[in-house]
Amino acid sequence: MKVFRSHFLICGGTGCHASGTAKVKKALIEEIDKRGLSKDVKIVETGCNGFCALGPIMVAYPEGVVYMSMKPEDMPELVEEHLVKGRILQRLLYKEPTTKEIIPAMNDIPFFALQELRVLRNRGLIDPENIDEAIARDAYSGMAKALTEMTQEKIIQEVLDSGLRGRGGAGFPTGLKWRFCFQSPSDVKYVLCNADEGDPGAFMDRSVLEADPHAVLEGMVIAAKAIGSHTGYIYCRAEYPLAIHRLNVAIAQAKEYGLLGKDILGTGFDFDLQIYQGAGAFVCGEETALMTSIEGKRGMPRTRPPFPAIAGLWQKPSILNNVETFANIAQIILKGASWYNAVGTEKSKGTKVFALTGDVNNVGLVEVPMGTTLGTIVYDIGGGIPRGRKFKAAQLGGPSGGCIPAEHLNAPIDFERVAELGAIMGSGGMIVLDEDKCAVDMARFFMDFVQDESCGKCTPCREGTKRMLEMLTNISQGKGKEGDIELLQEMAGIIKNASLCGLGQTAPNPVLSTIRYFRDEYEQHIRDKRCKAVVCSALFKSPCQHTCPAGMDVPAYIALIRSGRFEDAYKIMLQTNPLPSVCGRVCDHKCQSKCRRGKLDEALAIKFLKRFITDNAPRPKISPVSVTRKEKIAVIGAGPAGLTAARDLARRGYKVTVFEELSEPGGMLRWAIPAYRLPREILASEINDNIKSLGVEIKCNTRVGKDISFEQVGKDFDYIFLAPGAQKSQPMGVPGENLKGVYGGVEFLRDFNANEEAWLSGKKTIGSKVAVIGGGNSAIDAARVALRLGADVTILYRRERKDMPAADEEIVAAEDEGVKIEYLVAPLKIAETAGKVNGITCQRMKLSEFDRSGRKKPAPIAGSEFTLSVDAVIAAIGQTSDMTFVTKDSGVTVNKWSTFDLAKGSKSQTTNPKFFTGGDALTGPDTVIGAIQAGHQAASDMDSHIRKINSEPAYVEPPEDKIEIPFIIDEETVEAPQAKMPEMHGPERKRNFKEVELGYLREVAIQEACRCLRCDAEIG
Amino acid sequence: MAKLTIADLKKIKDKVHSETSLRAGEHRAKVTVHMGTCGVATGARAVMDSLMGAISEANVSDVIVTTSGCAGLCSQEPMVTVELTGQSPIVYGNIDANKMRQIFMRHVMQGEVQTPFAIAKV
Amino acid sequence: MKAGNGEVDIQKEFTAGQLAKLDDIIKKFKDKPGALIPVLEEAQMVLQFLPMPILRVIAKGLNLPLSRVYGVVTFYSFFTMTPRGKHTLRVCLGTACYVRGGKSIMEAIQKELGVKEKETTPDRLFSLESVRCLGACGLAPVIVITEDVHGRMKTQKVKEILSPYREETVPA
Repeated sequence: MKVFRSHFLICGGTGCHASGTAKVKKALIEEIDKRGLSKDVKIVETGCNGFCALGPIMVAYPEGVVYMSMKPEDMPELVEEHLVKGRILQRLLYKEPTTKEIIPAMNDIPFFALQELRVLRNRGLIDPENIDEAIARDAYSGMAKALTEMTQEKIIQEVLDSGLRGRGGAGFPTGLKWRFCFQSPSDVKYVLCNADEGDPGAFMDRSVLEADPHAVLEGMVIAAKAIGSHTGYIYCRAEYPLAIHRLNVAIAQAKEYGLLGKDILGTGFDFDLQIYQGAGAFVCGEETALMTSIEGKRGMPRTRPPFPAIAGLWQKPSILNNVETFANIAQIILKGASWYNAVGTEKSKGTKVFALTGDVNNVGLVEVPMGTTLGTIVYDIGGGIPRGRKFKAAQLGGPSGGCIPAEHLNAPIDFERVAELGAIMGSGGMIVLDEDKCAVDMARFFMDFVQDESCGKCTPCREGTKRMLEMLTNISQGKGKEGDIELLQEMAGIIKNASLCGLGQTAPNPVLSTIRYFRDEYEQHIRDKRCKAVVCSALFKSPCQHTCPAGMDVPAYIALIRSGRFEDAYKIMLQTNPLPSVCGRVCDHKCQSKCRRGKLDEALAIKFLKRFITDNAPRPKISPVSVTRKEKIAVIGAGPAGLTAARDLARRGYKVTVFEELSEPGGMLRWAIPAYRLPREILASEINDNIKSLGVEIKCNTRVGKDISFEQVGKDFDYIFLAPGAQKSQPMGVPGENLKGVYGGVEFLRDFNANEEAWLSGKKTIGSKVAVIGGGNSAIDAARVALRLGADVTILYRRERKDMPAADEEIVAAEDEGVKIEYLVAPLKIAETAGKVNGITCQRMKLSEFDRSGRKKPAPIAGSEFTLSVDAVIAAIGQTSDMTFVTKDSGVTVNKWSTFDLAKGSKSQTTNPKFFTGGDALTGPDTVIGAIQAGHQAASDMDSHIRKINSEPAYVEPPEDKIEIPFIIDEETVEAPQAKMPEMHGPERKRNFKEVELGYLREVAIQEACRCLRCDAEIG
Repeated sequence: MAKLTIADLKKIKDKVHSETSLRAGEHRAKVTVHMGTCGVATGARAVMDSLMGAISEANVSDVIVTTSGCAGLCSQEPMVTVELTGQSPIVYGNIDANKMRQIFMRHVMQGEVQTPFAIAKV
Repeated sequence: MKAGNGEVDIQKEFTAGQLAKLDDIIKKFKDKPGALIPVLEEAQMVLQFLPMPILRVIAKGLNLPLSRVYGVVTFYSFFTMTPRGKHTLRVCLGTACYVRGGKSIMEAIQKELGVKEKETTPDRLFSLESVRCLGACGLAPVIVITEDVHGRMKTQKVKEILSPYREETVPA
């Protein structure tokens, strides 16, 4: 016996081959030879190991470690370390994408550890071109048992009892199919294997054929015996050359051993089979079409009945099963039905193989028990979504299937549940879609596929899919109309009912399923011409502009920076945003999250460039606009929404008066955001120069409902814009929260900003140890302010860091300054001595199932309580509006969430037509740019409403000075990261309120602007 | 090749199974041959060949052979460490092909530590 | 497909050796049931494409009506009646590749080659096609040039990947 001390099993599946298995293997063998180790090591090329994303991969035994993403040039080091020095080569091991932990052993990697391998039990363990290795792992033992010990009825009964259902998609009980064919009298019957894996995104059949072809052959022989057939075909698509090659090798070896052909294993049973190559027609995956194709004709489906079990291939009784179905058979026979059905759900037994692809870290092949939840597959096995993106949906069943969205991540995946959710199990393609995928575009993609692949036999399918595609294309190009969604649903019903085969009957599923879960996206495309995923390119000039709530023309001002025309850049910004120096500092920059440059290296620093302009160009002068309109308008609240609306209305010739409760305008910008992020004088001068200068009157220290009644405002003004914001902290709901020393997040910030001198001089103190509860921007702001007041600050957050709603750069800055953050901790009660806070008792949390937003819910860990001793607690877990100023009989209704209700069909008009609203008081806490957009919306709606009542023509924007936008693009794009924002040094900034970010220098800004890919200039 | 019978199927299974059992993970012993520069220079290669030959002859499949770099005690090279599952490893020094064979037969197969060659218990 | 498309002079287009091979293929499958598709597959392997006169030869050889042969050839996307370039460049637009940016890869290649899908470059070096899933979803987006799979494609890599195939240019 030849013994080797090491076995290297290198994956030779299609995925790994494409990543370079052949070259790596060659380099490995050369290196081993060079070092005279060829007697020590056996190198085996296996079938697909499943972890395709990180190929080529190799498992080294006896250690069981797995090396990934190997390159030929790694081989000398690998041999030196692993074989000569006996050490594991760390740098080629698996690194967990979220925790960055290195995991050497294959069976410890969650991707492998959480799987249950039955169909794939031999993957990566045997050489698929060596029948002996398969036999060593029980190949053909099940067949031997079926041929020698079992009757036809017994085989069928065993398969029936196992509960095995067809893995091709429809889930018909396999045993039942066999029984029908068995009962159908004929001398000639056929066993057919469907390896025409046409579903895009599914490759489990290819993988099984490449890794373990004998399992399929064995299953087919058993089926042949059960139904009384002696001839079989494997219909395999021509796109799978390696699978066909391995099958040919396996068939030849099995024939040589007498495991196929005449008198198998001396039992007198004959079965011969051949491979039939498909020629590229998706419809041939349908059973009757496949049979027609083997007969040498155009692959069109036939009517059923008669079913193939009665009259199939060449009108003879036939069974057709999928590759994965056959690969289950031998084990069922060998180990028994009760072994098989011990795993799975009530109606779906055994395991299912999924091809996990798309926007998921661990792309590959996954076999799990039926009933495993979607979240386990996507997050625990799949490692979650790359680049920290959000999970949007999983697409199951390809062009015949549908989407399962985030709210169903807890759903156990089996035939019934998947169907209930509007998808189908299909052959097992599971394509993960992140938030950057558009539901309408996905529906259009699949419709394009099925209309192309429709064989043309049934008119509803041939013509209906074309018509549906046309409508979806129109919607994606902004040419959709009201009623389109209903028409799509109606047509879908007709195609489903009037088509002969599975292709037509399921073709509308992707459309129906996306309408079911993402109807709002369809409506946005049709009504607002918006694609929030920024995919449907006909709807926008550039992703950044389309994503900006205020629609700022980002590419234009960036191009102007590149050309050194900063003043023009400033003018462009002011067209859509009255507060650019504010947004250049505190905007949440959604634009950057969709920047196409981000797919190449890093997104453009749009926010920093915006600030650069406002820091380095003179502010364009804004002259007063004379009042030309008779309607008087009041704005309640001088936050960004109110100020923007006031500015827009003043520009249109209205007299606008803004009422503000506090002593200065700015709302949250002035009273919540600390000065180290947004210096006061910058905000004040921007309000002064861009808004007051137009003639807007701002009445500070005037609270509506106190200093002037709500009715009075209603009497004095013709129209009123309600923008009071949301400046009341939500209670935590724990005992002790009314104690002295417990603050709400925004209340604390407001107190500090209003009484800065008292706080800084020590007249007011927060204490030496402070706990801040929450994970949003207010929590971080409060923590950083408390830190600057000299406190030792700990943030307590009940989820994980990646779930924190605060901007990542804010979290990093807080940590840099010395704020401690405890994750997975929730407050239970606040402790006191003499009516003053002296501690907070918390509980540790663990993550359990998913909530509707697709985040894991925190659940308390029993007995994990602990107490932190603190002098103050700041609760910043959310905010609501204070609506006490609105009188009950005003006709303006406030709902149970303390936000305004809107009139039907309007985006800003309240239930009293005189009153409009927007910003946090309408939507709940949102961003600055969201408030600016709300201000624009309300101003435009108010003006349109007034003009409509007066029967005046619609407002026309006065022509602005034409600013020529230069168009310069680099021929080649060189990878370069985002330019860093210079910052004040950590220790230096910890004790003062000076601005932390220092702003770009001119050269840096121009260099950064040159990174813009100018998506706005894309042609066609 | 002649057609197989069911008995042949079993024979193939047993034969290949022992050749590939290394991939299954269980083992009775782990033998480490120290193959640093000094080890190789003093004949570790011959020791390794002798060990592999002995394993093959004994027809055992649950002994893991591995190598390591220099153990730092160059004067004692070639060195071999034998670790029976569940017991402390024993380090042997100044090993040659014959001693290796003896260690394998006595220590690995029968559990008797070969004290004359042993230099340490780790 | 337009009528008359695919009419070529087969003596000029193919060598005698190729045509002899075609006869062998027809002979090999002649009396087997369902022979047409395997014959077409092997014929295309030898001839690269299947113009009308070849279809006539096959129809006659297998004793089938020409309409049946033509129907099958135009039904399955695997067969082509027009000549292909030296290299067939297939861009995968299966779901996994589409989701990971296959469409922009296709656009970049079209721009680079100056041809659209299902066309061949004037120098007959590349034929551009799209395919629905090659089952290499782990490497999405994927393109295949002749038999070489290039995974994890980026638009910026297009030029670089095409260049070795271009350097081997032989006069058409």
